[in-house]
Amino acid sequence: MNKEKVIIKTLIDNNRMSTQELLQLINEKIKEGYTDFDIEACGQHNIGGSSWAKDRNDILTFKITNPGQRVGAMALAHTKIIVEGSAPADVGWLNSGAKIVVNGDCGDTAAHCAAGGKIYVSGRVGTRSGALMKHDPKFDLPEFWVLKNTGSFGFEFMGGGIAVICGWDCDKLDSVLGSRSCVGMVGGTIYVRGPIKNIAPSVYVRSLEDSDIEFLKNGMVDFLKELNKSDLYDSLTKWEEWKKIVPLPNKKNDKISVKEFREKYWIENGIFGDFIKDDFKVFPLPASGEGRIHIPHWNSTNCVDCKICLNNCPQEAITTGNKVYSVLDDKCIGCGICEAVCPKGCWTIISERKEIM
Amino acid sequence: METVNINQLHLDDLPWIIEYDETKCIQCGKCTAACSFGAIKPVVEKRRKLSGGLTKPSFEKVLVIKQQISFEHHCRGCGMCSRVCPNGAIRAIRNTDDRYSVRYRAAKAESLKKGGRSNLNTEGRTLDKIKIGRISQMTDPSLDAARHKFELLTPFGRVLSADKLNLHFENGKMGVQKQLPPNRWIYPILMGDMSIGAISWRMWEAMAIATAYLNEVAGIPVRMCTGEGGIPVRLLKSKYVKYMILQIASGHFGWNRIIQAMPDMIEDPAGILIKIGQGAKPGDGGLLMASKVAKYVQEIRGVPKADLLSPPTHQGLYSIEESVQKMFLSMNAAFNFKVPVAIKVAASVTSVSVYNNLLRDPYNIVGGFFIDGLAGGTGAAHEISLDHTGHPITSKLRDCYLAAVHQGRQGEIPLFAGGGLGQTGSFAADAFKLICLGANGVFTGRLLLEIAGCIGNVTGKCNACNTGLCPAGIATQDVCLTKRLDIDKAAQNIVNYFIATDMELKKLMGPVGNSTLPIGRSDALITVDKHISNRLDIQYVC
Repeated sequence: MNKEKVIIKTLIDNNRMSTQELLQLINEKIKEGYTDFDIEACGQHNIGGSSWAKDRNDILTFKITNPGQRVGAMALAHTKIIVEGSAPADVGWLNSGAKIVVNGDCGDTAAHCAAGGKIYVSGRVGTRSGALMKHDPKFDLPEFWVLKNTGSFGFEFMGGGIAVICGWDCDKLDSVLGSRSCVGMVGGTIYVRGPIKNIAPSVYVRSLEDSDIEFLKNGMVDFLKELNKSDLYDSLTKWEEWKKIVPLPNKKNDKISVKEFREKYWIENGIFGDFIKDDFKVFPLPASGEGRIHIPHWNSTNCVDCKICLNNCPQEAITTGNKVYSVLDDKCIGCGICEAVCPKGCWTIISERKEIM
Repeated sequence: METVNINQLHLDDLPWIIEYDETKCIQCGKCTAACSFGAIKPVVEKRRKLSGGLTKPSFEKVLVIKQQISFEHHCRGCGMCSRVCPNGAIRAIRNTDDRYSVRYRAAKAESLKKGGRSNLNTEGRTLDKIKIGRISQMTDPSLDAARHKFELLTPFGRVLSADKLNLHFENGKMGVQKQLPPNRWIYPILMGDMSIGAISWRMWEAMAIATAYLNEVAGIPVRMCTGEGGIPVRLLKSKYVKYMILQIASGHFGWNRIIQAMPDMIEDPAGILIKIGQGAKPGDGGLLMASKVAKYVQEIRGVPKADLLSPPTHQGLYSIEESVQKMFLSMNAAFNFKVPVAIKVAASVTSVSVYNNLLRDPYNIVGGFFIDGLAGGTGAAHEISLDHTGHPITSKLRDCYLAAVHQGRQGEIPLFAGGGLGQTGSFAADAFKLICLGANGVFTGRLLLEIAGCIGNVTGKCNACNTGLCPAGIATQDVCLTKRLDIDKAAQNIVNYFIATDMELKKLMGPVGNSTLPIGRSDALITVDKHISNRLDIQYVC
């Protein structure tokens, strides 16, 4: 390992080093065994990303000023990136293990798709930050710590990992997560200190549990230490000011049923209630009793009391006594078998349509 | 010996034949009890047993289920028997060799009537030959249907062009000099247009409940049209009337009650729809068979129990100009010019002339033009009208839209298209394509019945809405049959279908990249059919 610090200035005599030139230079130096870089960047992209030390156990360190987009993109473990000042969009894009510290604000989509490592931001982050963060169980959880607040649409489609939004210096904001954050979030946890507004309905906001506090206590020490702001520890660890956001375990339909709507809010007794007394009960198929559409009638004229109707009725709905046959209405479904089997034509099925009264 | 006559109606003449498996039947009687058409009955059959040689042949009696052979009690293929059979022993099979329509006319000397919709489908559906082919792929971000905030709203009511707004400025504030025509932003799908009487009170109320629920709980501002059979006063005087579009058709049924209730109404209705005609039976007036003119229907409509025929035309309207001057004006005046008034016609070769004429609208009172295509459904119609009159909706809607574009006046009188939408499964796709072709919105009736529990289909299954014997309790006024319909489930099904359709509409808006309705965005559509491409002026692809 070469302990000597590599200092790269990317703007010399008004000649700007291209992203390709810078990244290839860094990789060359890494191959030579250097691990410590000081880069005065000039908007070059992807600094600190997808690199690993010659000796895999060594830690690559990048101190960067004025970086372009995607600082620490696709960065691996054993990488530490410190940005002095702010960084534009996509800080830690697809971060897979690096520790990235931004001593300033981040542009949009910070920590986008981060699946490992830690991203610490001492200021604010832009829209869609934390979107698509995820956690592969074979690796450590990705962590995304922001001292102040995020822009709107944050944490969209988040699938795993932890975000901590500390809400420092946000007194004038009505939401430290902007508007419509957490849309499509299916996994992971977001810890928030400060007001939240207009959050996606598919997540819910809860109070911290002991294990949450344990995690935050430990994490906060390291976070603030890296930002050189350990003095904020007491102000940021009043746990009653914190909440956590987790996705709803299963998509719940919390709307009331139409039946409940009808019973509670609809016009009492129905809109036809002036004409019709309807109890809204439903007749089964086929129905017995008053729900029958075919009704048997017995006529004694030719009856020979043979009981063939009684014995063949599938509902056992026919009774007899003194040669008089009658139907148990609550058993009879009006199938017509009595009429069919009677050798003397004593049964008639009436299929009159009835109007409601 | 029993004989038959060649002129007698025979099983083979009927459109549906009952397939019955005696070996599975346990003679429980459920099928015959449930059949509202009386098309099957238990009968005792005499069977002959072979002689063993030493004795004479003997007979046995067997109880079986037998199909009835008559015009009055023929099987409609609804399949209720197979639904209730515990053993799958019975079902109705379509008879592809039937001669029913010939036999009926020959025997009865009258035209054949039925409900549902035309079962003649000779040309296929144009809408199914159109795809949404303009997809945002790097040209612009496609929108995430599940998460993006779409605005699925369309104007209902007269829209004035900017130069007619009479804008003026006073103290740095902009205003309009005179009252603007009423206009409501509503969901682009309207439901209903089916009258009290044509459908059961439970079905009608289920639609009204679903409408209220969709508005108040689900946040989908759907409007329901009452149909021409009036509206219950209790609904009229409730706050929910604001979701209802009151219809006035040639029969003017129910309007005296509406007028009587006006002083007690707490909300204005959503709109008024003047019905000139409907797609299922264009040029014919409404038809409600006496069997469905129940007591309460008689009261609301102010008629006795009889076959109710609405005149094929509004008496007193003899021209388009007169319709505008008299009908639109009266209906606008009814609610003090605060409620938009639209008109519904059956699609016709002449629709463009009508629309062009309406577009002149010197009084700014024409709030919408509804065109109903020939695939629309109906409670009752003469088969001849149903199968052989009318005009497909797609090209007619397009013609009207382009006629307005030609004058630079598209959108001034919103266009609504309907007639057989959703019949191949996806209502959202049909709606979306028609909107891209220029519709401000679409409307549906029959589909709602299927959603609610209708057991018929568009290829002739059941289609007995005209008989009053609807086995599902939808197109009937019989108390036993109506009570088969679960009002809550029917309404819930409609609600669910709309929520799904809303999602699906967004699934189509996302790829096209529209946050608002893509009205007239025909560049989004493609077709592999050259004729459709030419006729609709959309891109031909192969």
